[in-house]
Amino acid sequence: MSSVTIPLPRQGSALKLLQKYGVYLAIVLILVANLIFTPNFFTVDNLRTQLVQVVPVLIVALGMALVIGTEGIDLSVGAAMAMAAAVLPLYIGYGFLPALLIAIVAALVIGLVNGALIAFIGVQPIVATLSLMVAGRGLALLVAGEQLRPVIDPGVLALGRGTILGVPWAVLVAAALVAIVAVLVNRTTFGKQLVAIGGNRRAAELAGLPVKRILLVIYLVCAGLAAVAGIIGTARLAASVPSTIGNLIELSAITAVVVGGTPLSGGQVKIAGTVAGALLLQIITATLVKHNVPDAYSQIIQAAIIVVAVYIQRGKVFSK
Amino acid sequence: MALQRTSRGLVAAVSLAAAVGLILTGCTNTGTGSNTSSGSSEQKVKSSDGPTCDISTYGGEKIDLKDAVVGFSQSEKEDNPFRIAETQSIKDEAAKIGVKKLITTNAQSTLSKQISDIQDMISQGANVLIVAPLNSDGLEPALSAAREKNIPVITVDRKLNAEACKDYVSFLGSDFVEQGKRAADQLIKGTGGKGKVAILLGASGNGVTTDRTKGFVDEIKAEAPGIEIVAQQTGDFARDKGQSVTEQLLQSNPEITAIYAENDEMGLGAQAAIIAAGKTPGTDIQLYSIDGTKNAVSQIVAGQYNGVVESNPRFGPLAFKTLKSFLAGDAVGQDIIIEDGEYDADNASSKVDGAY
Repeated sequence: MSSVTIPLPRQGSALKLLQKYGVYLAIVLILVANLIFTPNFFTVDNLRTQLVQVVPVLIVALGMALVIGTEGIDLSVGAAMAMAAAVLPLYIGYGFLPALLIAIVAALVIGLVNGALIAFIGVQPIVATLSLMVAGRGLALLVAGEQLRPVIDPGVLALGRGTILGVPWAVLVAAALVAIVAVLVNRTTFGKQLVAIGGNRRAAELAGLPVKRILLVIYLVCAGLAAVAGIIGTARLAASVPSTIGNLIELSAITAVVVGGTPLSGGQVKIAGTVAGALLLQIITATLVKHNVPDAYSQIIQAAIIVVAVYIQRGKVFSK
Repeated sequence: MALQRTSRGLVAAVSLAAAVGLILTGCTNTGTGSNTSSGSSEQKVKSSDGPTCDISTYGGEKIDLKDAVVGFSQSEKEDNPFRIAETQSIKDEAAKIGVKKLITTNAQSTLSKQISDIQDMISQGANVLIVAPLNSDGLEPALSAAREKNIPVITVDRKLNAEACKDYVSFLGSDFVEQGKRAADQLIKGTGGKGKVAILLGASGNGVTTDRTKGFVDEIKAEAPGIEIVAQQTGDFARDKGQSVTEQLLQSNPEITAIYAENDEMGLGAQAAIIAAGKTPGTDIQLYSIDGTKNAVSQIVAGQYNGVVESNPRFGPLAFKTLKSFLAGDAVGQDIIIEDGEYDADNASSKVDGAY
């Protein structure tokens, strides 16, 4: 059940390799180009900067990969980030950990409504999460007031700027979440059930899987991960900006997942590929900024790279 | 079996929702205190030479503002200090004058909503309109609806590509090119006319971005050949984007000595990036931006920021004064350019309370 790829006829082994390892190859190529053309790229500070900056997209993409694995989509991840960002400063007076937990729980409401609409009422994921994308951010702004709010707390500042043995806390959190989600997907019954639903929901139901409950949990996990990304984003700025945090992040996350080899048609989840996809997007952005490419061109270049990546993946992306 | 699971899931879901409901209602009590006031530093007119407009040319009837229904169409979401202060200033002045009724709308950064907002206010009986246009183009349907009923329209902060005294009465606003030029002057003075500068651009395709870039770049070229502009990258007027772009730029161009941000939010993001890079903002890398928000100006007071050119959002008094003269039959300027202040290390501590 883990793979349902239909091999294309006369598919060369080179193309197969490219499909499997294309995203990694792209990362290597762009890194080599930077090694040659970009001054100060291969410095510890710069590589650390890239890792820190990729963290929010990466964490959101992990949840998105799970949702896409069930043949779903979650457009409301930015709203869940905004909700967590909005709630965090309101409870920071009680200490960092309580505020963190409350912020995550607040964002889980969005996942809960998503999951309930999709699993129990049968609303299509794109419709349900589109509603929450709009309503969730509205609710966040209602809760927090629309203005930017500085968050000065030792715990928040440590999460945003602190390092341990030179590795930023935010990166460690992301690495831990990657490991947990990878184990969840590859080593647990839950992971197998998840891809079974994405592969063929009807069959999964007939096989007696608790499909609705699994879907609900997946959307909760996705919102919870987005909440962590929202808190890390807030910590990096040392300010809560619910109006802009996570705007359009769903697009970056979906791109990272798809470029990383997880088909939108569900039934597979590639966690390593998703990590690589997020890193690829980050390195592309960094390269364009460092070479002072005007915004209009850099948007076109990014889109072109995504189209090429998805085209190479097409055998997997568009078939079940 | 499946049914049982479903109901267990639902029970869990409902209790979680209830718990969260409690959290959220708790927050609204503690969290929504707003510290924005309309503030003190009133706008002054810098220039209103050039053609004028009066009611006999434009059409319509003279009316006392006290008997008028005034409609105000705000363009962008009120999530930044500029928009908050702008709307508040209009509301405060309307209350002060005692207009018959003030209707306010917010287009939430959507052009089609602004058009329907304006049309709605007209059908609600607005006699005069104050419009903060979302864009220089695209409001024609709304303007022609106002034109049909001879409703005078004053535009604030963004100028329309339309004919004054015909499509609308007057424009009140800042000279954005001039703001960029003044930021360049501050930066030249602060750096002694030497060094490498990065520009954090506003949102692409926005007229404010174009003007603030042009004013700055032209002034640097003309006055300070020793300054090299090494990067121009967009930060979308947002703090987080300003921060991440500055992080990238400081890695690839460690020799950057000053940053010009086209709004305060991006400047504050750049400040966070400079601190994260282990340098001191204000000294190792100088920071200049445009807006005049309290957040940025108080950083000048703290010595962590170098200069801010103001873009004064308090249009209320001037907009109503212009309307009053116009409705009384006097001629008013078609282009009323306001005088913006500026903040630096010498005056920031005495003027910070007037910032918005």
